[in-house]
Parts: sequence; structure tokens; C-alpha cells
Amino acid sequence: MSFIPGQPVTAVVQRIEIRKLRQGEHLILGFSIGGGIDQDPGQNPFSEDKSDKGIYVTRVTPEGPAEVAGLMMGDKVMQVNGWDMTMVTHDQARKRLTKKNEDVVRLLVTRKSLEQAVKHSMM
Amino acid sequence: MPMNRYADMEDKLRILEDLNMMYIRQIALSLQDSNIQKKIDHEIRMRDGACKLLAACSQRDQALEASKSLLTCNIRIMAYMSELQRMKEAQVMQRVALRSSDAGPTDDRLPCKGKVAISDLRIPLMWKDTEYFKNKGELHRCAVFCLLQVGAEIHDTDMVIVDRTLTDICFDNTIVFSEASPGFELRVEMYSCCSEEDYSTGSTSRKLASKLSSSLGRSAGKKLRVAMDPGACSPISNGGGATLLLPLPTVVGPKYHLLAHTTLSLSHVQDSFRTHDLSISGNEECSHWVPLYGNVCCRLAAQPHCMTQQMMSGCLKVKFGGDPQSWTNVYGVLKGTNLFCYHRQEDVEANIEPAFTISINKKTRIRASEKDRHNKAQSICISNHYGGEEVTHTLSADSREDTHRWMEAFWQQFYDMSQWKQCCDDLMKIELPSPRKPTLVTSKQGSLYHEMVIDTSDDISTVTDILARRMEELELRSQLGTSPPWMSLFEESPGCPRTHNRLPHSPLRCPRPGLLSSEASLTSDSDSPCSTSPCSRYSGWAEPLSLSSPSSHFRPRTLSLDAKLSTLRGRGYGGVLQCSCQPPSSSSLAPIPAQCVPQATLSCSSSTSSNSSSEGSHSPELSDGTPFSRPSSARQSLRNLRAKLDPRNWLQSQV
Repeated sequence: MSFIPGQPVTAVVQRIEIRKLRQGEHLILGFSIGGGIDQDPGQNPFSEDKSDKGIYVTRVTPEGPAEVAGLMMGDKVMQVNGWDMTMVTHDQARKRLTKKNEDVVRLLVTRKSLEQAVKHSMM
Repeated sequence: MPMNRYADMEDKLRILEDLNMMYIRQIALSLQDSNIQKKIDHEIRMRDGACKLLAACSQRDQALEASKSLLTCNIRIMAYMSELQRMKEAQVMQRVALRSSDAGPTDDRLPCKGKVAISDLRIPLMWKDTEYFKNKGELHRCAVFCLLQVGAEIHDTDMVIVDRTLTDICFDNTIVFSEASPGFELRVEMYSCCSEEDYSTGSTSRKLASKLSSSLGRSAGKKLRVAMDPGACSPISNGGGATLLLPLPTVVGPKYHLLAHTTLSLSHVQDSFRTHDLSISGNEECSHWVPLYGNVCCRLAAQPHCMTQQMMSGCLKVKFGGDPQSWTNVYGVLKGTNLFCYHRQEDVEANIEPAFTISINKKTRIRASEKDRHNKAQSICISNHYGGEEVTHTLSADSREDTHRWMEAFWQQFYDMSQWKQCCDDLMKIELPSPRKPTLVTSKQGSLYHEMVIDTSDDISTVTDILARRMEELELRSQLGTSPPWMSLFEESPGCPRTHNRLPHSPLRCPRPGLLSSEASLTSDSDSPCSTSPCSRYSGWAEPLSLSSPSSHFRPRTLSLDAKLSTLRGRGYGGVLQCSCQPPSSSSLAPIPAQCVPQATLSCSSSTSSNSSSEGSHSPELSDGTPFSRPSSARQSLRNLRAKLDPRNWLQSQV
């Protein structure tokens, strides 16, 4: 999940499709994000590489839309509906997830267990 | 016997000074201009006063101010002297020119003068980040002020103390020069002085020190004078040079040095802010160094008199277009880019709207037409283009001389407009500096980071509290067998970490709502506030008040937490964010064991305390499921902003 500057980032990702839930006039997804290029990466408890400024899932509300879709805490969000999330500010990330005219968000997330699973399966 | 020599020296110098003053007065007399003479006398008196004050004062601020006045006085005296010299020379040259057989008076048209105002001076600084973040006890401070000079008119700005908490040096003064020609050169000079050294000679007695300094100074001053002899400029050679009233006895006290300067002229005049380059003299080694970015921003505006005053007025007859018979009698006033035509002269004072207005701008063409068949006098044709159409007005004055004067006025107007260029397009606003308001002393020119105060009284107890809680919490967690949240990364089934055992609600639940509602949110989330409703919908979602499990265990701690929270609330929200009572959660990371959603609950109470906690932990987020009303939006937005801007936070947003 860490990146080497100058090299393309590769990761094993899982596709997660979350249907937003309507709560009155709000559409909620049911998780919280942390991180961003404008944030201090050293405080990210989930990242392996403490210089990783990506967007991480810090909390998943139980039985919320995100959890139902398979999102887990500590996942790193790579893309949202095709938009890159590896080099965005915190606010940009939040906005990409909370667009009012979108009912569904399709995330590409990565987590360490995925990589390990792939590795194991290849051995 | 050295003292004798000094005494001798002193006497001689005094005589020479008196001679010089006489010389100055003579010049002034011959020029029949006592104005400058008075000014020089005034400045000399001010200078003496400043010297005395400097010698007598003990406080650093006073000394800085006195030194500043001293420098200003000196520079003013120099300026007046040179002005006087210049005028004398001009007079002499004129006489010479008249005497010689020149080809008649040259038709030099002089442009009108105008007001030039410079305001809102701002000089950005460029501190090195090492300078900014290092924690030295003493701030390196400098006192800075600017001198603005046009011709012989010198104005000074207020003095500003600069230290590394400032990002820009701002001078709020508006300075207006009333009589400036379009070719003016406004010289901006920035002087600085280090305000830290101890420059007072403590040991020597005051009197002796001043006497020594002044007497030594005179001889040193004489050397300076000789060195700075202007040479051929002085008509009277008195051995020492023309201006003996040079500064100065080297006085003990803070000394200002020139740090940067620039010259502004008509091309820099604009009705908005502009940035100009500064030439910096000095480098990092100097004591008076201030790290300048190299620019100065200011608003330089000019109001030429031709735009603000009536340049010409008189009775006229106006004819529109080519219609030969319709002459209208008007009273015309030429001002700015318009010729206002009033029905009667009285209308001008009465502020009645003019009958019509003819614009006189750069695109207007004026010519004198041949003698009209009906009138004996010449008439003047003014043509303008109004939206593609050419409109012509014909003016006729009562007599030939009047016509001539009007033409003269028009030519002068055109000349002025060509000289003042962009200043004549539109009238620029100049705000006159209001009579001296008492300067509001800001308590501290601090930056955003300095505003966040961590209450020291809570510090130690906070830290110990946090540590203790953390330890206990870890124990508890291991007891109940749940893993830290990041362990879930390695787990296969997503449902694992969620244990559903909930400890019974603690009775502490009740008093919470009141507290938490007021202190609730410090998050960055505004778009999708999921606060209220999900709580009801999703039983699984954190119940905000179940500080239950840990609290029951932590009862003694949470009592103190309770107390702290209530004191917090009492202290109000003012600009102070308390870091006390940081509950163990350091928000999301430390889960409440046995809670469905680890972070949610204690984050509620964590949101009471400030986000700028000393541990730099995560900022609290909007506790989902708080059924409470949000605090007033203004307060909340301020806190949100604070939370967002503090780089020590790692923001989390609920989506």
C-alpha cells in the first residue's frame, strides 16, 4: 500500500458497491474516512506506511450500507466512481463520496489481507 | 591638554554653525521665502528635543520612538536644506537666463499639480521555517518604520515591532502629499533597528555620558561634514561645506539603519493595490535584518487638480451641431473631464444639475473655427464621439480675449491630461487620514497557532489521566478479548470484532445529555450530517451515552471527567479550546470493548474537549447518533474551522 515515488502504484483491490441510504434529506453511506494529502499521515492508525496520505476508512457503522456492502475498517479507498482517491485532499474525498445526485458509490478499496490472500493463492 | 583642544573645537564648531544658520537665513531672505526657514527652525527644535529625550529615557519603547523622531528630523532638515539650495540655484539661473539674450520667453507649459496618496503599505516577510518553529526563549524583534518622501516633503509612518509571529508588516497610515507634480518621485524607505540589545551605558552617569557623547560627537560630526562636502554646490565656501547642520552627535541609543527602499512614480499610480519591488540593503548578518520577501504592496492614488478643481469658468454661448441659429446662453465650468454648462452662474453654488455636459477627454477634438459670419469673434468647436456618432458643440465667448482664454484653458487641460495619464481617466478616491485616533494596542500580534491556548492548569492532571485511562482500558480490552481495530485488517470475516455484549447502562448516563449537547461537535463534516436519525434506525449504531462499559469500570475517573467537563462548560467557548479531559479513546483508535462500534461512544465525550489535544490525536468527529440539537451554528462553524485548520489533527469525516 505504500508507494515508491516515480513508480506506478499497484494494489490488489476489491470492488465494493454501496447503495446510499436516505435519511430524510441526507444520503448516508455509513462509514468515516480519514486522511488526505492535506492531513498529517503520521497520525493514521491504519496505514502501513506512515507517509501514506491516502484516504482510509476509519470507522464503519454497524449494519449501515457500507458494512452491508463489505467495507471494512482500515481499508484504503483507491477510487470512488472512477475518481482517484489516492491524491486528494480530505475535503475533496468527502465531497466525492457525498454527491447528492448519486445513489450508488462504487469503491475500489485495498487492504493488506487481500494482498496476502492473493499471495497465498499464488504460492 | 586634550580637553582644551576639545573646547577649542567646540567653540569653532559653534561659530561655524552659527555662520551656517546665518547663511541659511540669508538665502531664505533673498528668496523671500520664509516658509522653509520656519520649517528648518522647527525641525531643529524637534531634533534637540528628541536628543534630550533619548538621553533621558529608560524604556526601550520610548528610546525607539525618540530615535525614530531623531532620524526623521535629520532627514527632514537635510531635505529642506537641499530644497533651499535648489531654489537659490534656480533663481540664480533664471536671472542669468534673463540677462542673456535668449529668444524670448520659452513657452513652457507647466502641468497642474495634484494630490498623491499612498496608503495600506504592506511588506510581506519570509521567515525561514527553522526560524518559525524553533523554540528559542527570546523572539528576535526589530522595530521598523517607513519614510515617504516627495521632494522636500517627508512623512513617516508609525513604528511597528516585528517578530517572527508576523507574516507581513502593515502600516495603516494614509499619507497624502498635497502638491505633487506629475513627474513626482515618491521614495519609500524602510528603516529598522534591532530592539534587543542593551544600548544604554548603565555604568556611566547619565550627564557625563551625554556630555561626552555630544562633545565627542561634534568633532566626529565635523569629520563627517568634511567628508560629505557637497563640493561645488555651495556658493559660499566656508571651508566646511554648505550644510553644517548635519546630524549629529552620535547619541547613545537605538540606531535605525536603512533596510530597503524603492521609488514610485506616476506609472505606479493605480486605483487599486499593486506590488512593487524593493531594493534591499543589508543582509542576514546585520543586527537590524528582517527577512523581507522583496516586495511592498500599497495603494498609490493620485488626484490631479485638473480633476478636482474648476479650471476655468465663464459665460458662453453654445450651439449644437450645425444648426446656425440656436445659441444657448450658459455658464460653463471646466472641471475634470467635463465642461458643465449651467443655466445660470448661481446654479453652480446651489448644486443644481447642469443643463448639459460636454465631455472633454483624451478623445475630444477642439479647434477654433474661422470667423463666423454672424459673430465677430472666433468660436470653438468641440467634437466628441458618442457611441459611433460624432457630436459637435460650438462655443462662443463674449469677447476675443475670452475665447482666447477658453482655448488656453482647453489646451492646459489637454496638457494636464497627457501628463497625468491614467489619473485623468477617472477620479481616484483618496481617503483623508482622520485626526489621530488613539492607536488600538493589540495585545499580541500573534498568528493563528498562538491563539490556541492550552490551559496549563489542566496539563499535568490531563496527562496522568490519559495515561491511566489508557492503561486501564488496555487491560479491560484484553480481558474482554477484543482486538484493536486494526486487527480486523487481518481477519477474514467482517463480523468478528463486533461483540454484542453491552454492559448495562450506567447511571451516569443521565447527566450527560446536557453537557454533551453543548459541547458536542467539532467535526469537519457538514455535507452529510447523519446525526440525528440513524440513531433511531440502527440500533447497532453507537448510543451516544453509553459511556456505559468503560465508565462503569472507570467510575472514579469519569467522575473527575464529569467535573472537568462541567468546568469546561462554565469557562465558555471563547477562543480557548481546552485540551483537558481527553478521554482515553483518543477518539477512534481506542475502542470501547464490548461496544458495537468501538469509536463512537467515547468520541462523544472526546468531542467535548478540544481537538487540539496535546497528544495530537485524531480530531473528534460528529458522534453519530447524537440526538441532541447542535450548538449554535456560529460557534460550531468557528470550531469546525479551528478543527480543520489545526494541522495537528487528523480529520475524519462521516459520509
